[in-house]
This record gives sequence, structure tokens and C-alpha cells, in this order.
Amino acid sequence: MSFELIKDILLATVPLLVIFPSLFAFTTWMERKALARIQNRIGPNKTGIPCTRIGLFGLGQPAADGIKMIFKEDIVPRGADKLFHLLAPILALIPAMLILCFLPLEFPWGKFISGKVQAFMLDSAVIFFFAISGLATLAIFMAGWASRNKYSLLGGMRAVAQMVSYEIPLLLSAVVVVMMVGSLNAKEIADAQTGFNWFVFTPWGLAAFVIFFIAALAETNRSPFDLPEAESEIIAGYFTEYSGFKFALFFLGEYIAMFAISGLAVTLFLGAGDGPFLTSAPWLSVVWFIAKIFGLIAVMIWLRGTLPRLRVDQLMAFAWKFLLPLSIFNILLAGLTHFALDARVAATSDAILYSIHAPHTHSGEANHEHPKPVAGQKEAVMGALHYTDKNWMGAMKWFSKAALKGHAQSRSILGWGFGIWAMSLIVLYVMAKGLDNVSRSTAKPREYLYAE
Amino acid sequence: MSILGGGIFKGMAVTLRNFIGSYFYKERLTTNDYEWRAKDKLPQSIGDYPKEEGEQLRDTTTVNHYSRNFPMLLHDTGEPMDTIRCVACQICERECPPQCIYIEKSTEKKENADGKPQFYPAKFDIDVSVCMSCQICVEVCPFDAIVMNSQFELSTPNRFGGLLVRRDDLLKSNDYYHKIHPQEAAARDQKMVADKAAKEAKKKAAAEKAKAAAEARAAAAAEAEAKEDTE
Amino acid sequence: MTQEITFWVLAVIAVLGALVAVRRRNLIHGVFALMIFFASLSGLFLLLLAEFIAAVQILVYIGAVGILLLFAIMLTERVTGDDARDITSRGSFWGWAAALAVLVVLLLPAIQGADLSQVAKPINPSVKALGQQMMEPYVVTLEVLALLLTAALIGAVAASQGGEKTKEDTDDA
Repeated sequence: MSFELIKDILLATVPLLVIFPSLFAFTTWMERKALARIQNRIGPNKTGIPCTRIGLFGLGQPAADGIKMIFKEDIVPRGADKLFHLLAPILALIPAMLILCFLPLEFPWGKFISGKVQAFMLDSAVIFFFAISGLATLAIFMAGWASRNKYSLLGGMRAVAQMVSYEIPLLLSAVVVVMMVGSLNAKEIADAQTGFNWFVFTPWGLAAFVIFFIAALAETNRSPFDLPEAESEIIAGYFTEYSGFKFALFFLGEYIAMFAISGLAVTLFLGAGDGPFLTSAPWLSVVWFIAKIFGLIAVMIWLRGTLPRLRVDQLMAFAWKFLLPLSIFNILLAGLTHFALDARVAATSDAILYSIHAPHTHSGEANHEHPKPVAGQKEAVMGALHYTDKNWMGAMKWFSKAALKGHAQSRSILGWGFGIWAMSLIVLYVMAKGLDNVSRSTAKPREYLYAE
Repeated sequence: MSILGGGIFKGMAVTLRNFIGSYFYKERLTTNDYEWRAKDKLPQSIGDYPKEEGEQLRDTTTVNHYSRNFPMLLHDTGEPMDTIRCVACQICERECPPQCIYIEKSTEKKENADGKPQFYPAKFDIDVSVCMSCQICVEVCPFDAIVMNSQFELSTPNRFGGLLVRRDDLLKSNDYYHKIHPQEAAARDQKMVADKAAKEAKKKAAAEKAKAAAEARAAAAAEAEAKEDTE
Repeated sequence: MTQEITFWVLAVIAVLGALVAVRRRNLIHGVFALMIFFASLSGLFLLLLAEFIAAVQILVYIGAVGILLLFAIMLTERVTGDDARDITSRGSFWGWAAALAVLVVLLLPAIQGADLSQVAKPINPSVKALGQQMMEPYVVTLEVLALLLTAALIGAVAASQGGEKTKEDTDDA
């Protein structure tokens, strides 16, 4: 263990350990504020600088909460499994922190780290992400079981059933991107989307993003899928017997998992650290990445303020009868359109290159059939060809560049491509609508005798 | 045919309107900034809070006619213990789900507002820390003696005795009830008057019936006597 | 050096986890010990640079098999796991003997000092190579396996749906 290695490890991990927990503190404040405003309340506004009347919009609230949590009594039920009761919150936090390492965050001090330590930039980062995020289920079950409480156990069982069900659409919607890029490496996926060629702009990418986001909500037990901790039904679910610092750890783990899964959504669909002004300031990529994560978190909070909780049967029906078939169909559609574009480009690529090269290589009758080459046209077409097997949007952008410069073949491909784009959106919508009609639960709530 | 997921977007538009509107329109805010007085000393017991009606309803915006927080005992105009409605029947004590009411019946009877001798509660305590404001005691009371108060300043640093409210602190006049819940109080008074009238009418009818029966009996007896005499 | 330390730590955890998994009477403890064993095994795979296998080890064994075991236990009466004693069985001698025999057989080549590099050809353990292997030479095997799993799935659905319909069932539907 040399000094270099330790330095590298610290440089690679400490920023994650500092940035995300502090973001967690800020997010709890943001969530409380936003929910309050949604309900026409004010939210925390008194806790600012201690011993003064300066409120700072209640920004001191997370710190106050943290201090409170640490000093609270740690109550362990008499019948509880003491060891598991202690291990569960730790086990909930560790996978959440671990999966943060798989996000392709490019810190500006990354160049001080030798290649060896970037071990987390694994070739199978996406698979690892799903594998390790699945461990959170176990922690929740452990907590529910170890508490020796009916409500905890019910919450734990609900959590396991829900997370196992929603992991499948989550994975299948990510498969689309993996299929397009041809790599499980998070860095390569991020690189394939540079220059605003985000996958969310493609029809299948949009559908996959929506499915992914919904499944991610369920996976992190966020409202409207917060059945495992439904206050009005089972007190606090698996949290019921937790207090003090253990509860804080659970809370932290849940929020870190939210960050991580939003981070994966950003990586897969929203172009990772891609954004404006990157050429002049490459360090902005981290800022864009975290800003996008925050955007997704804000939507999660917004949804929490808007939607009521699902019933258990609706939850399961939604996962198995709606999201799962839709995501499988989406994979099929993505493959079809992708290969259709590939085939179309392949069929004309010789002609494309020929049309550009022709005026130079063949003199004579070819000259008057083809328009004169415009500067940059060849580069545009080459760029498009470079992108065709990786990123639909990228290819389309290059083709449109070539088309603008007066390239007939590109124009036809462009029109054809956007036709397919619109068609697949329509097909996806019709499919979703049909599935919705089929999968809607016909069960009516029982009529109560004394209901008004 | 509605748009798939359209309902979600509609809902999100509503919450967004609330979110933004709450920053610009003060009247949207349902809660008021509570006056924080760090120097103020809290009373050691809930009973020490000012009893006068005006004091408790200082903040008229947060307390409306429908608010309810904690029960109180009603008395009619006059000296509280002389006109108390409660007769210590202990129905509320039995019905209270969290069992926060404690009643001790008096040993001797005392005249109530109507001039009728009745039992009265020698002790009537309610524990605020246990009460869940369900209002079941109000529903079951046959004498309209217990109703909900809307006093909300109930905090005290004394968590043992301070949260137990005694009979004398629970007693509030009917006028106060009219002030905090005008519609409900009016309806209750009307009902009580109607009940009383119905009761009196019933009594009257019963008395008349009894009178008629007695007369008939007397007539029958006279007849029988007359018959006996003839024989 | 670091690799050796990591290996020994993981190996000890794996063996301990396996032992606890076998010996605990409390089913839930057993399952979690088994999962610790799986996790350390995944770490050992990572140490061998077989990252895909490591990921799949976690995904399938901990994420799927472990959860399945938990589900199975949740359906039994032993959910609360009151009985936390260790297993002591009269026939344990034969069990130990069999386990020891297997161990000796496995370790025999090492004891004899055989040259193991002849047995296994080094392969490229990367995800891409693995995927290519699965899609090119072994595509038929993969498809047959997939078919088998699908058949099993349909069979499970049929098994759970089948049987005589009682009156209650028809009432619910």
C-alpha cells in the first residue's frame, strides 16, 4: 500500500462522500419547503443561525434535525433481533453509497488520479449498478423482520414484493440504451450522447426514460409508490421501530439511493454531464450532472406533492401488466427502428460517399448529374455515418447539416428518419393506451355499509 | 378517450399553481406565522391560561367556527357550579376511546339550573396528552353538557400535572360556547328547547292519560259500588 | 500483497458465512449468512477480474435466489424465527465425514503438486468477449436454455392457476 494508492483512493471517494450527503441535507430542506408551498404552507423558516433571529429561510433545519437525531434515544424493542436491527440501516446505506461510484462523474481533479484507481469505471457498470441497488431490498426486509413488529414485517414484505417487481421494468428500459450504445460502460454511454444527442430525444429513449423514471420512483419507495412506509395504513412500515441515529441512517440511505438512481437516469437518458459551455470549461460537466440529478429530484418531490398512494393490487398490476409489456415492446421497437435506419444508411452509404467523391474522382458525365460539392459536406456525412450505429439523434443532426448544405441523399434519409421518429412515437402511445385499457384494474372498492 | 397520463399533468398543474401562488398571494397561506416569544414564560398548568374568551381567540384567522381541539364542560348563566349541566352519569368516561376522562360522582344531590336535585361531578379531569379530539364524548352526552372547545394554546413545560385539566378549568359558560361556535351552539340550544318541550308534552300527555285512567277507574269503581249496592 | 490480503479476508468471510448458513436453526439468519457467502464469492470473482460474473453473482444469487428464499420463509410459520438454537444432529458425524472427503478430493491435485495451468486455458473475461461467445458459438445453447426457462415459467403459472375451482374462487372472479 503505497502513499500514491491511498491518495488516489481518497481523491476518488472522499468527494462522493462529501458532496452527496451534503446534497441530502439540502434536499430534505428543499422537499419540506416545496411540499409546504404546494399545500399553501410556509415550511421551515425559523431555524437559521443559532441564538439569533435570523431565519435564513429555514436552511438550518437539516443541521438541527441531524443534531436531534444523534441525541435521540436509540430504542430497540425487547423482542427484536438486536444484531439485525443494528445492521439493517448500515446495510441500507452501504449499497446506496457504493452505486454512486458507478456514475460517470468527471471531477476536475480526476486527472490527478492514476488509472488504476478508477476501478469503478467498470465495463459492466450498468449491470453492477442494478445488482448492488437490489441489495437495498434486503436491508429493508432485514429491518422489517428484525423489529419484531407486525407493521414492520408488513412493510418489509411490501417493500420486497414491490422492489422485485419494479426492478424488471427498470432493467428492461435501461437495456434499450445499452443495446444502442453496445456497451455497459457508463463512460461510453455518456460519451455516446455528447453534443445534446441525449437518448431522451429519441422516441424509444423517451418511452424508456418515462418507464425508468416511474420504476425508479417505485424502487426508491417514493410517493405514489410509498406503500412500504404508508403512514395511514401501517404506521411507518419497516421504519416503525427505528429512532434516533438508525432512523437517520435509513433516511440518508433512501435519499442517496434517490440520487444514485436519478444519476443513472441522467447517465442513460439525459446525456450525463453534457451541457453548454463544456469546451471552454470542462469542469462544468460535474455541475451539469448534479443539476440534472436535482431536476429529477425536484420532479419526484413535485409528484409526491401531487399524487395519492396506489393500492397494492394497482401497484402490482401496473408493474406486471403495463410497464413490463411496454418496456419489452419498446426494446423491440428500438431494435426495429435502429436496424431500419442502419439498413437505409447502409444501402445508400456507398451512394452518399460516391456522390461526394464523384466530382473529384470522375470527370465527365458524372459531373452534371451531381451538384458541386459544398465545403464541409463530406465531413457532415462522415459524422453522420459515425453516429448511425450509436446514436440516432447524432446521426440525424449530422444528416440535417449535410442536407442543409444541399446534399440530396441526406435529405431523403432525414425525411425518412423523422418519419420513423413520428411513427414510433405514435405506435408507442397507442401501445401504452391499449395496455392501459387492458390492465386497468376492474376491481371496485368494497361498499361500506356506513359510508356516506 | 382521455390522454394517457393527462390526469397526472392536470394534478401537477394544480400543485404548481399552489406552489407559485403561495409566494405571491398571502391570502393563500392557511397558516399564520406564530408569534414566537422566547422570553415569555409558559404557565405551569393549562388551567393557568387566561380564561377570558377574548384572550383565547386572539388569533381569529386560524380558528374558525368549525375548529375543535379539546372538550369543555358547559354551564348555564350563573355561578358555574350551581348551573353545571353535567350530572356525572359517566357515559363519556365509558365511551372515551383513549380513556382520558376521569369522573367522580358526588355523594349528595344538589339543585341544578332547573331547580331539580341532581348529582354533580365531584371530580372531572381530562388528560390533554391522551385526548385525541375525537368528539365522541360530545356525541354520547345526553345532557349536552360536554362540547368541544377551540382553545389551542395548551402547551406547558410541566408534563406531569400540567396536562391534566381539572373540572373548574373545564367549565365554560354557554355564552362562551355561543361565541366560539355560534351555529353549532344555536342548533344545540334549539334542540334542547325542543327536547324539553317534547318531554313536557309527553309528561303532560302521560299525566292526562293517567288522569283519564284514574277517572275511568274511579267511575268503574263507583259503578261497581253502585252494582254492589243494588244487589 | 494487497490482493493476497483481500483474498484471505474474502475467503475467511466466505467460509464463515457458509458455516453459519448451514448451522443456524433460525432460517432468516441462515439466509442472510448465505448471502454474505455469495457476496464474498462475488468479491473473489472480482479479484479474478471476472467482473461480469461477479455482477451476475450478486444480481442472481443475492438479488433473486436470496429473495426467493426469503419469500419461501415468509410463507412458513417460522417467520419470526423464535428458534435460534444451533443444529445438533445425531447423524452429524457422517455429514462431517462426507464433507471432509469432498474437500480432500478437491484439494488432491494441489496436494500432489499437479500443474493446473494445463487444465484451464486462460480466457478473456470481459463482458464483450463473453457476450460474443454467447451469441456466436453457444447461441443454440442459450436459446434452448431460454426456452427451458420460459417453459418453466409457463408451467409455474399453470400450476398456480390450475386445480379444481372452489366456490370461493369463482366468487372472487
